Amino acid sequence: MAHPSQLGFQDAASPVMEELLHFHDHALMIVLLISTLVLYIIVAMVSTKLTNKYILDSQEIEIVWTILPAVILILIALPSLRILYLMDEVNDPHLTIKAVGHQWYWSYEYTDYEELAFDSYMVPTQDLLPGQFRLLETDHRMVVPVESPTRILVSAEDVLHSWAVPSLGIKMDAVPGRLNQTAFITSRPGLFYGQCSEICGANHSFMPIVVEAVPLKHFEEWSTLLLQDA
Amino acid sequence: MVEEEQSNKKKGFKLLGILDVQNTPCAREALLHGSVGSLAAGLLHFLATSRVKRSFDVGFAGFMLSTLGSWFYCRISNAQLRRQQVLIQDGIKNKLLYEGTRVDTVSKPKDQEPCSSCP
Repeated sequence: MAHPSQLGFQDAASPVMEELLHFHDHALMIVLLISTLVLYIIVAMVSTKLTNKYILDSQEIEIVWTILPAVILILIALPSLRILYLMDEVNDPHLTIKAVGHQWYWSYEYTDYEELAFDSYMVPTQDLLPGQFRLLETDHRMVVPVESPTRILVSAEDVLHSWAVPSLGIKMDAVPGRLNQTAFITSRPGLFYGQCSEICGANHSFMPIVVEAVPLKHFEEWSTLLLQDA
Repeated sequence: MVEEEQSNKKKGFKLLGILDVQNTPCAREALLHGSVGSLAAGLLHFLATSRVKRSFDVGFAGFMLSTLGSWFYCRISNAQLRRQQVLIQDGIKNKLLYEGTRVDTVSKPKDQEPCSSCP
């Protein structure tokens, strides 16, 4: 999850997010070099004693500062497009979960085998246990088996919401009357936090998302327990 | 332990406020190689031509090229290593899963004993 005064991304918990982090580093290195170049040119121009009022054109530099930016853009665009299409892939998911946004909570439906559904409300600040995170904890978490391809169908019951979990590299709009599909694989077990990412009313900031990745055996035990309680 | 990790991450130095040098893989090496390349190129040019300003320009160009070259080489190597790591992990998983079956490519399955009740 995020820590105070954090500027960068959270640690990746899915292969897609790892790829996004690598691409981000790549783009940032290019940005750094361009910024350094611009800074150097500014300093050189300000400190030069050369003045020439009669320069009209220069073919060489025109060619350089046309070709070079095009090459830089290609170097950025190719990995970007690769990741874009990678994020769209849905490779034979083992599990499908529906995440439906309401004002102001999420509900999850596991309907592959049995009718398992529950709501996920934020835990109020006054009810938090020691060690829990303010405005991020929920009463029921979305549990998924670790290292299993999972498909999420995101929709909404009332207004626009958005289901987002930064450490998994997922953000998908929840639109009433529409099913948006996304997929992920969690690389490691753990808790992954997210928050609603589309303004949806007074309590938009108070409908978080918690994904709990557990081994398959524990997932089966959890789902069996929930079905018995239902 | 979480606090130690957080304090280590906070110590990361952001070059020009953009790039976190310590926590970004290959960044530190690329910048070090770039600095060395810049120094070498600028110095050599100055020794050859005794032109100060132009040597600075050559040194800067050397910095850009060395940094970029080192960065791409390191990133491509890391990507290849990651790919190999995934293949090895999958291979280990599949070996455990398919050991003793027809799909097992390492050891052949034992010949089945003849069925005594079969006609």
